[in-house]
Amino acid sequence: MAMRRSQIETLDPATSSLTLSLDIGLYPRDVLYAAAYVFLDRAYVLLDRQDPRFVVHLRAKRPLDEATLQAMAGEFENELLAQALRHQVVDANQRIIEDVVAVAIAGAAGDVEGSSGAGLEGAPLIDPADPEDGFVADPHGIARPWEPEKQGSE
Amino acid sequence: MTPPSGDTDAATIRLHRALYVEEAITEAAATFAGLASFAVRADGEHYIIDVTDIARDVDGDVVAEFCNFALANTARLQRSGHA
Repeated sequence: MAMRRSQIETLDPATSSLTLSLDIGLYPRDVLYAAAYVFLDRAYVLLDRQDPRFVVHLRAKRPLDEATLQAMAGEFENELLAQALRHQVVDANQRIIEDVVAVAIAGAAGDVEGSSGAGLEGAPLIDPADPEDGFVADPHGIARPWEPEKQGSE
Repeated sequence: MTPPSGDTDAATIRLHRALYVEEAITEAAATFAGLASFAVRADGEHYIIDVTDIARDVDGDVVAEFCNFALANTARLQRSGHA
């Protein structure tokens, strides 16, 4: 049988353990770490490498039957896909994320000079000299609790 | 090979050098210093960790938990760009 992208190599309900092998070319190492991290609270995880494949050993912290172990293997593969997508989205939007964070930090400091946010250069987001600007003033009572029992404490 | 078990007084762990960072392993060893003794050395493609004097009076599997810590530390260090 041809080697699949990911597959269960071993599955042993007696020890509540299983072994998965993954195509190294399909999943970056960061994705493997992220997926493994999610399972640390319910399984003992050991990563290994046998070229050209990553090998993932999982041993559940609680006894599991065969069906549950197979489900765990499926969940690990799903987690790999989710983390791979997350990785791609972060890569694709890295510049935007950095710009938004830079403008937010600069704005909170009352100075956006030096930020790379096009169109916002020189425009202070909050004027520290103006008490009506920012979040302290609440002219429309937005910050007041609407529950009657909490209104008295204001 | 399954994640090693600390069911005996000593164990040997093999962690692939392409997947685990030495700093992460030594951090994990420091965390578990009160529960066992750890000796880390490089051997070919793996780090070999000799675990001795494993505490018997603790809940859970000391050796396997150590492996989880080494992996978590590695993931954290890789993400923060230390490795």
